[in-house]
Parts: sequence; C-alpha cells; structure tokens
Amino acid sequence: MNRIFYYSNKLILLLIMPMFITYGDILCQDSLKELDLFSYKSRLKFGNHLYLEKDYLRASYEFREYLKYEDNDTIRFKFANCFYNIGRYLEAADNFKSIFYNSTIQDESRLAYYKSLFFSGDFNLFRNSSRNEIYLPEKYLSEVNRLYFTSFLMDNSVLPDTANFISAFPDSNKNDIRNFYIQKKFPQYKSPTTAALLSSVIPGLGKIYVGNITDGLTSFLVTGVLTFLAIDNFNHKHSFRGWLFTGLGAFFYAGNIYGSAAAAQIFNAGVKFNFDNNVKLYFEKRNYFLPENNL
Amino acid sequence: MIKLLGKLILFFFVSLVSVQAQYQLSSQFDYANTLFKTGNYFDAITEYKRLIFFDSTKTFFYRSSFQIGKCYKAGAKFDEAIKYFSISELNASDDFERFDSKIEIVRCNILRGTTSRAHQLLNEMELTYSGNDSKDSINYWRGWAYMFEDDWTSAAASFAKINPNHELKLICNRVEKDKVSVTFATVISYILPGAGQIYTGNFLSGLLSLGWNVLSAYLTINAFNAERIFDGIAILTLIWQRFYRGNIQNAAEFAESKNIDIANSALINLQKQFRGAKP
Amino acid sequence: MIKSIIFCLLLVPTLSKAQTDWVKWDAVEVSYKISNASSKNIITQKQNTGSGIISFLRNIYGFFISELDGDNCPFYPSCSHFFVQAISESGMIKGPLMFADRFIRDLNFFKGKNSYPIHRIGKFYDPVSNYTLNEQMIEIALSGNGGD
Repeated sequence: MNRIFYYSNKLILLLIMPMFITYGDILCQDSLKELDLFSYKSRLKFGNHLYLEKDYLRASYEFREYLKYEDNDTIRFKFANCFYNIGRYLEAADNFKSIFYNSTIQDESRLAYYKSLFFSGDFNLFRNSSRNEIYLPEKYLSEVNRLYFTSFLMDNSVLPDTANFISAFPDSNKNDIRNFYIQKKFPQYKSPTTAALLSSVIPGLGKIYVGNITDGLTSFLVTGVLTFLAIDNFNHKHSFRGWLFTGLGAFFYAGNIYGSAAAAQIFNAGVKFNFDNNVKLYFEKRNYFLPENNL
Repeated sequence: MIKLLGKLILFFFVSLVSVQAQYQLSSQFDYANTLFKTGNYFDAITEYKRLIFFDSTKTFFYRSSFQIGKCYKAGAKFDEAIKYFSISELNASDDFERFDSKIEIVRCNILRGTTSRAHQLLNEMELTYSGNDSKDSINYWRGWAYMFEDDWTSAAASFAKINPNHELKLICNRVEKDKVSVTFATVISYILPGAGQIYTGNFLSGLLSLGWNVLSAYLTINAFNAERIFDGIAILTLIWQRFYRGNIQNAAEFAESKNIDIANSALINLQKQFRGAKP
Repeated sequence: MIKSIIFCLLLVPTLSKAQTDWVKWDAVEVSYKISNASSKNIITQKQNTGSGIISFLRNIYGFFISELDGDNCPFYPSCSHFFVQAISESGMIKGPLMFADRFIRDLNFFKGKNSYPIHRIGKFYDPVSNYTLNEQMIEIALSGNGGD
C-alpha cells in the first residue's frame, strides 16, 4: 500500500512537471518584468533610492528615463530638484516650469522656480521675473517677495524704499534686517582720497586714518629721518648726500600717499567682504525664510 | 501527501524564479564589470549601486561594494572609496574577504597620504591575522606606507621581513644610501661657509657663499683694526651675519630638497616601472 | 570677522563631501611624489616674471645675493619679487610707488598686528594685485587659502 502510494506520488509529480515548466516560464516572464532592472518602474524605485541618498546626478538619470514612459508631477518635481540640489539652477528652473499648470504641486514648483533663479546668482533675471511674470505662486507670495528684497542685499542695485523692505520680513527679525539695510545703504567705508590727502599733509596720517597705525608711524619716522638727514647733509655742504636723501625721502613720501589710498581700498574690500558674508550666513541660517519642502 | 505536494510546488516555483533572478543579477554584475574594465568608473558605480539595490538576497553585496570602492579609488576619491571598502568589509562572508577589504582601505590611506592611519590599521590586522601569507601582505603594505612617508630605513626593514632579498628592500637600501645628511651639511656649513652647499652638489652657490663670507669677514676685521668700530659693527650685523646665516639655511635647504628629489625619483620609478602590487 | 571666516572654512569640507558625485568624473592618476613644502620652490616658479632690464637686474640680484643670504622677507611674495611684479604689471610710475609702500610696511616692527592673511608657506600674504588701486582686483584671502 505504501509503495503504491509512493509510486502514485511520483507519477503525479511526473505529470505535473512539464506543466510547471510551461507555466513556470510564463510566471517567470511576469516576474522577470518585475525584476527587469531597467524597466521604468525599476528605474523609478532606484531613482527614489538614489534621491534619498543625495546622489542627485545619478537619480536625475533614472528619473529622466522613467519620465519617458510615465508622466508624474512629483517625479518631475524631484527631477528638477536634483538639478537644484546639484547647483545647476538654471536647468532646475527650466524643469520646474513644466509643472506650472494643472498640478496639485504647481505652487510649490513655482516657488522652487523662483528659488532656482534666486540662487543662480543672476539677481536681475530673478527680480524681473518676480515682478513681471504671471508665474507667481498664490500660496507663497510673501516668500517670493522676501527673496525679492533679500536679493538687494546681495548685489549692487539701488535699494528699494525702507518701509517696504523691512515690512516684508517677520517681526522678530526686523531689527537685524534694518541693520543690514543701513549697513548696505551707508557702508562704513574709508575714502581713499581722504587717506591720500591726509598722507600728503602729514606722512603716515592717511594710514592711521585707515587703521594701520603702526604702518603710519613707521612711514612718518622714515620720511622724517630721511628729511632730517637731507637737511643735515645740506647744512654740512654734502650736496650729493643731501640730494640722495632728498630723493629717497620724496620716494617714500610719494609711496606712502599711494599706499594710503591702496590701504583704504583694501579696508573697504574687507568691510564689503564681511558684510556679504554676514548677510549670507544670516539668511542661510534661516533658510532665507523659506518653507522646507518635503517632496 | 497534499501538503508535501504543495510544498514541492512552492519550492519549485520559488527556485525557478530565484534562478531567473540570480541570472538577472549576475548578468547585471557582468555588465557593471565591463564598465569598470573599460575605465567607465562613474557609470560602473551606478550599475553596481543598482545591483545592490535590487539584490534582495545580498549575494552580490560584498563584491559590488568592493568594486564601488575600487571605482572611487581609480577616481582618486579616497574618502568615498574607504567608505565603500568598509561597507564591503562589514558584508564579507569570510576572513579572506574581510582581509581583502581591509588591505584596500590601507592602500587608499597610503595613496591619500594618511599613512599614520594605514599603520594603525596594519597594526590592528597583525593582531587578528596570524597566517604567513597575511603577515607577508601586512609587512608589504607597511613597507609601502613607510616609503610614502619618506622613511626608507623602516621600509627596508619591513620588506626584509618578507624576504631578505626582496626587490623593494634593495631599492629602499639604495635610496637610503643615495641620500645626503642634513645634519652633516649644516654642521660643515657652520665650520666652513659654503661647504654644505658644495657637499650637496651646488658648487657655484657654495663658492659664492664662501666668497661673500670671506669678503665680509675681511671688511669687518679691517674696520675693527682701523678702529672704525661703527662700520665694523654695521658690516658684521648687516652683511656678514646675513650671509653666514643664509649659508647655513641654504645648506640645510639644499640637502633637504636633494633628499626629496632622490625619494621622488625612486617613487616615480616605482610607479612607472615596478610590476608588483602597488597601492 | 575672524569668527565668520572660521565658520566659512568649517562649512567648506562638509559641503564638498556630499558633492563627490554631483559632477561626472573620470579616472585620475595620483602621483606618488612627496610634496616639497619648502618656500623656495614655490617662489622660484615665479622667477621668470618681469621684463627687460629690471628683470635682468633682479636675476643678477637673485643669483648673487638673495639666493645666498637666507630667508629674510616675512612677506609672500618677497619684497624683490613684489618690486619686479609691480613694475611689470603696473609700469614704471606706479610700480616703484607700490614698492616704496611695501618697503615701509616691511620696516614696520609691528606688522604682525596688521591683518595680513597667512599664506600656506607661513608668510604674510601680500599680493601685488591688492595695490593696483583697482577695487576689482583686491582679494580678501582667507587664512591659509591665499595665493596660487
């Protein structure tokens, strides 16, 4: 009995086997599609994984392939955002444009578009499009407006009216913004002309005015000693030495006038560098008063 | 009976699918390897990453991450390379694989110039692996680390542990012999100005230095003899002292730069000519 | 100011790390050469700048004196290099004035108190381009980041 059971078992298996193989093939082909590493669905999965890993360039390749087969606004947004994160802002802006209409995330895309233009560093382009175009996101009008005013702190355009400028920012930050505004409008520069004039009256005074006090004193001493030597030698009828020291004195006197002007310019460049840096750090720390996007 | 049959069916189905999947994955691995071999490292990384992502059984995890590390290494992105070699180390299935990953990390550290980290890793490895082959391998890479540190004596000692007549040991010995002594160059310059420069082969500079020192010494002594004390002190401090100090500085600098040139030409030769394993 | 500069320097490495694969890269061959950090090598690279008679005189000065009397100038580029560079870039009128100014600044005993950035070879970084009276050319170099 047992044996019969055993054989029948085998027989069934033998009968079923070919069936399995044929069906199995069909089943496998289905599952193969699932497993095809280069199908558009796989591309999407892999792309999302790369996106989370911040491997944005590779993610953008995968999304591009995916978008050839299926249209999906979220993926379009992510695709554009890849370029934004890499720092290819103008490409990002172009890609965000494709989600401006008839989409649930059109406002987010529009905001991202303005962000891209802003961070591209072409503030004129940004300001023109944020004033004139019809792309403005209804949900994020105040954000774009803030970016508009922030851009003025970052380049050399003529600053807009104070009241408008400051009212665009939240109350708690208004003081800081006012300070930045004042510093931008009336920077604490030292005039190179004044420095040069001061140095031509008293050697070294221009340098002291700029803040390089020891440099100023040194050049006062050097020109002073050379002048003294010149006069002393003329008094003792050493006319060659007299003229030599006169020449040297004049040389350093002129050099100091020139150097005072240059020092004032270097001072100004330092002030500007610090201001730009502080503004950048301040806004970066507050994410430019923009909402975090969770897409 | 039916239970058994059910199990059989399930097993059959699963194995068929997984065989197909394995086939898919291994052909993906081959594809990535082709990219790697043709030097297409950036794209190779993409494909290895794809393989890792879809490889649910983690069959290719070790090999892929190891290869990604190699790609980054080829692109001189050592931080990333070390990261991926460490991942491969964590996913290694046996001690050999683990050893290979660690050695790769050491090699990256040598190339990156962080040789102290390489030494630290090699010391740790020495405690774990006691086989003769692994000992040799550890000493070999320790030798390379020393060479990159410009410490040729220690490098020679490391290679000698593998084989007293090791090819690299002989090279290290030769470099050590060719090098000049910075201390000696400095000391003889103190005694005879210019001697240090001449010792390092800069004859013209040495002679000029000697000339300046003799001239300023003559002028100084002359001035003191003629009781022109102020002139004497001026020449002594402004000219003689300057050239004397400069001569010593130059001797040390020439010796150092000559040593670096010797070391560099040896290293470049190794990079271009040496046929064995290189970092 | 210093705080903000340090902050900037801290930011740079964290940013650059994430960016490894944001631009497609190719294989790079790493040279096994040990870098020679001595200041002389860096300066001699610039020795051929300059023109005509001034450069000739400077080469003579360099060969007979400056190469032999040790390392005396606390600035990078050194005063004599500054002179040649200033003349070749700004002409015979501005150049000497720039040099006169530099010379006085070199005489200043307390120059360390001024805010010169430190070049990576350990000297005060004071490039000619800062003194041409052209605001665009002034570089506010971060510490250790100055120069070529």
